[in-house]
Amino acid sequence: MAFPATAQPPTGGQTTVQTASARRVWTRILAIVLFFVAFEGLLFHTDFYASIIEPNSSTGFMELQLRNEIRRPKPNRNQVLAVGHSRMALLPRIANQETPDTGYTFASISLGGTTPRTWYYGLRAVDPSAHNYAAILIPCDDYNDHDAYDQQSERETDLHYLIARLGFHDLLDFPWTYRSKKLQWEAVRGIILKGAIYHRDFLDFLEHPAARIAKARYYASDSAGWYYGYGGVDKSLAGLQIDWRNRTVRFPDSIPAGDRREIREEIFPDLPPNRGRETAYLLYWYGRMIDYYRHSSTKLIFLRVPRAPQSPPDSLPQMRSAIRQIASRPNVIVLDERLFNQLERPELFWDGYHLNRIGSRLFSKILAAEVRRVLGPPQP
Amino acid sequence: MLFNTPQFFLFLAAVLVLFYAAPRAWRKYILLAASYFFYMSFIPKFILLLLSLTAIDYTAARWIWRAGSPRHRKIALIISLSANLGLLGFFKYYNFFAANIASLLHKPSNVFALSVILPLGISFHTFQSMSYVIDVYRQEQEPIANPFDYALFISFFPQLVAGPIVRAREFFGDLYHWQRPCSDDVLRGLLLLFLGLAKKMVIADQFAQIANAYFQNPGKQPGMVAAWSAVVSFGIQIYFDFSGYTDMAIGMAKLLGFHFPVNFRRPYLASSITDFWHRWHISLSRWLRDYLYIPLGGNRGGRWQTYRNLMLTMLLGGLWHGASWNFVIWGGYHGALLSFERMFRRAGNAQPGRWTVFYPLQALATFALVTIGWVFFRAVTFRDSIYVLGQMFQFLYQPVRFSPPAIPTWLEALACFTLLLAILEEKQEWFEEISLGPAWAYGAVCALLLLAVELIGYTQTAVPFVYFQF
Repeated sequence: MAFPATAQPPTGGQTTVQTASARRVWTRILAIVLFFVAFEGLLFHTDFYASIIEPNSSTGFMELQLRNEIRRPKPNRNQVLAVGHSRMALLPRIANQETPDTGYTFASISLGGTTPRTWYYGLRAVDPSAHNYAAILIPCDDYNDHDAYDQQSERETDLHYLIARLGFHDLLDFPWTYRSKKLQWEAVRGIILKGAIYHRDFLDFLEHPAARIAKARYYASDSAGWYYGYGGVDKSLAGLQIDWRNRTVRFPDSIPAGDRREIREEIFPDLPPNRGRETAYLLYWYGRMIDYYRHSSTKLIFLRVPRAPQSPPDSLPQMRSAIRQIASRPNVIVLDERLFNQLERPELFWDGYHLNRIGSRLFSKILAAEVRRVLGPPQP
Repeated sequence: MLFNTPQFFLFLAAVLVLFYAAPRAWRKYILLAASYFFYMSFIPKFILLLLSLTAIDYTAARWIWRAGSPRHRKIALIISLSANLGLLGFFKYYNFFAANIASLLHKPSNVFALSVILPLGISFHTFQSMSYVIDVYRQEQEPIANPFDYALFISFFPQLVAGPIVRAREFFGDLYHWQRPCSDDVLRGLLLLFLGLAKKMVIADQFAQIANAYFQNPGKQPGMVAAWSAVVSFGIQIYFDFSGYTDMAIGMAKLLGFHFPVNFRRPYLASSITDFWHRWHISLSRWLRDYLYIPLGGNRGGRWQTYRNLMLTMLLGGLWHGASWNFVIWGGYHGALLSFERMFRRAGNAQPGRWTVFYPLQALATFALVTIGWVFFRAVTFRDSIYVLGQMFQFLYQPVRFSPPAIPTWLEALACFTLLLAILEEKQEWFEEISLGPAWAYGAVCALLLLAVELIGYTQTAVPFVYFQF
């Protein structure tokens, strides 16, 4: 280590010894850094750990979705991929029953709890050339934007969903998409030291390593079939009535008392004053996705998902909402916002946000037909 | 600013840079400023207490040295000891004694209680301070002329809050004849820093979860296996926690060109309780021996007086750890074991720690006895201690139903691995071989320690060191 000279002026001989000493220390410090980077890199910056991560975790779910989609055969470019959160009710199996008519094959990497930021990085992972798909389906909760107390821009879970897909090259980008300094630091540290993010998963792995590896393999081999075969939730809110003006909900007897409060809060969420934060966030990430496909013929299709078990009263369109600002950009198609209004019926919902089995089937069929309409005939 | 936080490592890096970039004459002032900054990062107002004690003991030592008559020397010593023990007694023991007096007077236990916060490291820096004044009184140490030097001795940040308790002559020897650390010392220091961090975060904090979960409410997990799992876990936790802290302190000191005494020498390999106390918290044992046991008469007054002195020393040593009867009982338990050992030890068997065919059995028995003692150290109340002991020895009075231990398999494997490392260190001194070995071996070991910290030890909120509460 290059310590400065002490009070005793060193002789020539001492200088040589000091230089050798310093070299010895620095060599070992360099060795520590190299070995650490090598161990960390081998474990976490390769496919190794991501392949044995707990499948029932944020990262595990995301990885399964992305890996299944990457592995899925794509014989032609007439592929349509849905991204999105849990309200993206596309059931690829149902949509693909229409393939003889539409000519398009549907797939989905949508995942509950994800946000436009995670969708962007998901697309980057499954479509590295930006030419694999004819269209990408992107859900919007509404074509008007509303700020929320739980700001999408500050969701730490995004880091957990994406950790396996973030590399050193993302250091200059991903962390700075958070506004909070704490989250920026978490993201920087997480990308450099992925082990810190995998910490709980790793401790869990240590408890039953063999069982974990077997489970991860089982999910890796079979989960694509489970997800594809998923049919949706069988419950329904049939009989529910919403009074939008008085902000009240009348529940049928079939809905348990314990569920009612949550459903009411989903229908009438507590919103802060609108300061345009959500618009800025959506503009940024929609913009990133549009830019990613700017040299491609892939279309980005934005759609408004069914909003509630009963259509809310019409409100004036915000002309500066994110979706309206990007609507005229190349490759962007914005579907008619009333397209799914017909599905905003209590018997097609299982809670305040989500379509049930029948609702999802109808949604998938309508969406498949609409995609065919807006894209035109598939490529031969 | 705990040692196991990124903030502390940033602080340490800044101190190292400033220390070595500054002219030599400024360095001790940089260390003093850094030490006060470190102390104030916990509860700033207690700096006044530290400054007061420093001023009192610095002045008292000089008075003692200059005083013409033995009487005046004694008065100055008593003033200094009263100030140290008075403040320690007030902050640490006031509520304990107040509760006991209230209990004797059949009043509610909190009737005389005050809201007192224990200043950080008070047990350690008062002992260090007292040892200096006593050494000056005994004329084994000259008083320090420069008050800033003395202030640094008391507040030096690597050992301020939990030791090791350093003797004045050791510290000032390093300070006044400071030499830039050689590469061997720098490498040892770095390895100790990483090793200590790994001991704390990878081992101690993991076992702490098992011990804490049990001792929070021992009645919730009845049974012999649960009790032994928790008590053994605590034994592992406290050793790796405290020795991890000490390793870090010694490592940091080495990086700054100071040499602290060894505080732990693989105590769980001890072949007897006497051997254990030669290996556990050595700087405290040494302090108690030199400033309590020997002044009480040591072993010079016959067998029974020796046993009495051992008991008194260990009882006070127990009380030093905390204001609770449980600590007193813990100290008394060890005092009794030491006395029994002394009673039955044959003259030819005085050398502890020899590797014989019986050694593993002796070490196991010692470990079991020490572990039983930890019950009093860890349990929140005396009633809990009795309950836990009852569960541990359930097999003596009722049939035992075996349940799977609460310790996960990987932690059991980790404990076995550390035991193997300890045995290897005892026989072959691998630490020194790695410190001075080839760059690849040094780099790989340090990197693995850091990786283990990252993977196993990482927590959102740093877990405080056990001995910080003392």
